[in-house]
Amino acid sequence: MNIATSRFGQIDVDESKIIDMRGGILGFEHLKKYILHMQDEKNPFWWFQSLDDGKVAFVVINPFIAKHDYEPVIDDNDRKLLEIENAEHVVLLAIVTILQNPFSVSVNLRAPIVVNAEKKIAKQVVLEDQTYAIRYYLTTAGSGDEAFTARDN
Amino acid sequence: MLILTRKLGESITIGDDIRITFLEAKGKQVRIGIEAPPHIAVHREEIYQLIREQNIKAAKGDTIEKDTLPDVLEGLKNLLLKDQ
Repeated sequence: MNIATSRFGQIDVDESKIIDMRGGILGFEHLKKYILHMQDEKNPFWWFQSLDDGKVAFVVINPFIAKHDYEPVIDDNDRKLLEIENAEHVVLLAIVTILQNPFSVSVNLRAPIVVNAEKKIAKQVVLEDQTYAIRYYLTTAGSGDEAFTARDN
Repeated sequence: MLILTRKLGESITIGDDIRITFLEAKGKQVRIGIEAPPHIAVHREEIYQLIREQNIKAAKGDTIEKDTLPDVLEGLKNLLLKDQ
């Protein structure tokens, strides 16, 4: 199937790869179908593109790359909703916010998108654990040409 | 806003599937029990709002030029993979 997107123009979608968001992404509850799009094999930043609205796409990243000791607890309700039978089928995606003026990049570790990769269903899960930041910065404040360091905020 | 007064231990139902029970009150805090089907999200209001706002900020395509974003992501990738 073909879909028109703002960022990538027309893209060809493999229907077997379509992910069904149960409950949608907060603020975008009306959008249910997404595709995970990798621009370049070596780049850990991927795109979570809405198929219902070509203008909506999120930069996402495997949160473990941003924080090596990330240990989110997914509760039973969510496991049931996502029909998780095997932990190996679970893929986590953290939404990345990239802003200009000043330039900053943060990763939402408090509300990851939890994907059952086998059944192709997903949900944005809000973790109970308050230690994980909604904005985990990959850049230091006021950075432009300065070296980036990862830190919590 | 519908305003009701309940005694501790009493409940309120919303629709057919949601029930809220007032369990305990201590000082300025109230302990509330919520029964709802798994597809209904239940959150502390302020967290829900913060996440909602952050999602909206993240989706705004106009914060970064279409052309420069690949370069930005390329630079960031090098930063992250350096630690591996």
